[in-house]
Amino acid sequence: MSSAYIASIINSTLRSTTPILLAALGSAICSRVGVFNVALEAQMLIGCFFSIAVNYATGSLLLAVGAGILSGALVGLVVALLQVKYKAADMVIGTSLNLLVQGGTTFLLYLLFGLRGVLNDPKLVPLYKINLPVIRDIPFLGRVLENLTILDYICYIVAALLFVWLFKTVSGFHILSVGINKAAAESLGTKATRIQMQMVVLSGALCGLGGTALSMGQVTMFTENMTSGRGFIAMAAASLGMSHPLLTIFSSLFFGLCQGIGLALQNVIKSQLTMTLPYVATIVALVLFSRRSARRQA
Amino acid sequence: MKHITKVYGSLYANNDVHLTLDKGEILAVVGENGAGKSTLMKILYGLEQPTSGKIYLNGQLQHFRSPHDAINQKIGMVQQHFMLLNPCTVAENIVYGREPRKGLFFDREEAVRVTEALCEKYGLHIDPRRLVGDCPVGLQQRVEILKVLYQDADIIIFDEPSAVLTPQEVNELLRTMRKLAEMGKSIIIITHKLHEVMAVADRVMVMRLGRYIQEMAKTETSIEEMSYLMVGRRIVERQVPPRKPTGRVLEVQDLVLAGSEAKNILDHFSIHVDGGEIVGIAGVSGNGQSELIQCLTGLLQPTSGKVMLKGQDVAGKSVGDIRTAGCACIPEDRYLWGCAARASLTETAIMAHQRSSKISRNGLLNNKGARDFTQSLLDGYDVRNSGQTQKAGELSGGNIQKLIVAREIEQHSPLLIAAEPTRGVDIGAMEFIHNKLLEKREQGDAVLLISSELTEIMSLSDRIYVIYEGRAVGEFRKADATEEDLGILMMGGKLNEAVS
Ligand SMILES: Nc1ncnc2c1ncn2[C@@H]1O[C@H](COP(=O)(O)OP(=O)(O)OP(=O)(O)O)[C@@H](O)[C@H]1O
Ligand SMILES: [Mg+2]
Repeated sequence: MSSAYIASIINSTLRSTTPILLAALGSAICSRVGVFNVALEAQMLIGCFFSIAVNYATGSLLLAVGAGILSGALVGLVVALLQVKYKAADMVIGTSLNLLVQGGTTFLLYLLFGLRGVLNDPKLVPLYKINLPVIRDIPFLGRVLENLTILDYICYIVAALLFVWLFKTVSGFHILSVGINKAAAESLGTKATRIQMQMVVLSGALCGLGGTALSMGQVTMFTENMTSGRGFIAMAAASLGMSHPLLTIFSSLFFGLCQGIGLALQNVIKSQLTMTLPYVATIVALVLFSRRSARRQA
Repeated sequence: MKHITKVYGSLYANNDVHLTLDKGEILAVVGENGAGKSTLMKILYGLEQPTSGKIYLNGQLQHFRSPHDAINQKIGMVQQHFMLLNPCTVAENIVYGREPRKGLFFDREEAVRVTEALCEKYGLHIDPRRLVGDCPVGLQQRVEILKVLYQDADIIIFDEPSAVLTPQEVNELLRTMRKLAEMGKSIIIITHKLHEVMAVADRVMVMRLGRYIQEMAKTETSIEEMSYLMVGRRIVERQVPPRKPTGRVLEVQDLVLAGSEAKNILDHFSIHVDGGEIVGIAGVSGNGQSELIQCLTGLLQPTSGKVMLKGQDVAGKSVGDIRTAGCACIPEDRYLWGCAARASLTETAIMAHQRSSKISRNGLLNNKGARDFTQSLLDGYDVRNSGQTQKAGELSGGNIQKLIVAREIEQHSPLLIAAEPTRGVDIGAMEFIHNKLLEKREQGDAVLLISSELTEIMSLSDRIYVIYEGRAVGEFRKADATEEDLGILMMGGKLNEAVS
């Protein structure tokens, strides 16, 4: 295997990781406050759609990214209201939102643009690709970091910020306390339900940004159901990373690697088979992990 | 507090109650289970809003919409069930809500320092860096007290603080309360143990059925008068006639449960219980009692040893198998093992009865049968409730205990394990439960009684074992047992044969 080949696998790993990591961080903060958010997929997909739609309509990158974040946050708000405030069943809310957004984005695509399934237009403005002058010329590293977008860097900064916020600040301590013992937090005057709702909305924003990274990262286009289960992979990544922002970086990289390898092997093995790799890895990882934690509990 | 009324559905939990508290005073609130003591305190602490009535503090009208408001007015509460963050450190728990900061950050080092200073000031010692989940109950309660003190509370409410403590810890707690009162704090304590009232309170207030009954200075009352006012009748001393045991029901041989450290949690523990016999296990809690119960009921797998139940070895069998073999259990922690807080009373009552022919047939529940059965338990054991659809978690602490006791006794199993069967119940109910246990003994069944209340063990048991560090260190017949001897063994001492 040539080093160029390895570099290109790492490169595609990094790109695949970004949407997963952002959504996984969203999943992690939800479980840190004791909310089981199944609607990650919906929050991501709506981000994919609206960032591309706004991009197409205005040509402004800033507005496009903003639309991705905002639309994700709005879906998060729906989850927060129904699931946290009115205590509806998490699975029901999550599953129906996932289906609703999947059908809804396809429908809107037709309604707004008269298109079926795909929005891909030369008018769409891609995110800037960062190719730093010095690094570009370093042989291996240059290839590894080739053509990454700003979001591919930002996601790690977000993870680090989340870590500092949750584990080093007072408000973070209060947020964590809600997940540890809601009744105790409330008895000390913390508005626990409000914090839970805020965190779900934040997870929506993060997933929306993840969706944006997906539709405006490697390619700049929207296709029907383009998240194809990444929301669930993100859930797996968060739980593998024990809902810890820094550990979640590594678990997300693992799933990114599976996708990267899957892409790289496309030309060797049938692509239908290679595309299953991330999902098989998800199941295997979850089984291994839950067995380990079950043993620890015993 | 004036004219406080609180209505849940159609039930008056508090009905026109008055309460006053002076500076530096300790007020004891006593009353039957479900009398509305906890509810009244929750109102004072802002956890519940009164249906009507007003609260005045230093002459000023207050509205507490949440504990936050009450904390700001320097009211603190140590609740019946601890409100702690177990995976966090002692210091983190104590400074919660008013954390020291360094710039943007939570200054955890400073939190440790202020905790140390606080401990020093009030003479309550604890390691600030320890995880709360690793602390024994007595220390956890100390954390709760320090938490309230850190909030600079002038009024401190204790809701049944001694229910889960060992006698030593209780004494310590009472001393602490006196000290705090001397420092000018005002204290309200709810308790069912009237000798604690006599030991610590300045004034006593009695409640019954949500109403204020009477209050008096401690010096002008007695345990007898208080219990009469609480239950409305006299409690008589019980005489237990001796009874010949029938055949062997339970025999535990060389039971070993290895711990994570070198020492065994249960160390070659051997006891036996016959039919028609109540056997007590005395011991300071934390000496393996919980693990013993869990091994006997199938929640834990013993490392080695035999548990013979009616001649059949059930060690390591599943909970279901052991219950079928003839063992019922009143668990020590009613919320952890005894019930699901969100289940209805019907569901709570039929647990483990679900296969009886009255309640289900061919795997289908007979709802009418279940309701009738539940009603018979609720009525027969005087469980104060507002209907069978009420959630178990909404019953007052003593009433849920009565329901669990009812459910387990009505199993009519050859063996009943009763762990802290009267924890948190009032004196009337305690007498009632004790009589039920004795009735069971009369029927020729075996009862294994595990309790940290030495008086309970001494008054009921035919034979008594002492457990210390997972070993059975002594066996007494009722006639030979003295409180002193048991006490010495419980603390790990040795009896001098020549003296005893
Ligand atoms: N959330 C609730 N919903 C409905 N009823 C309730 C609720 N909380 C308490 N009650 C009822 O109010 C009554 C008073 O309960 P409370 O907890 O104040 O009793 P208590 O005096 O503290 O008793 P105990 O000594 O057993 O703890 C009980 O009959 C209880 O069933
Ligand atoms: Mg109570």
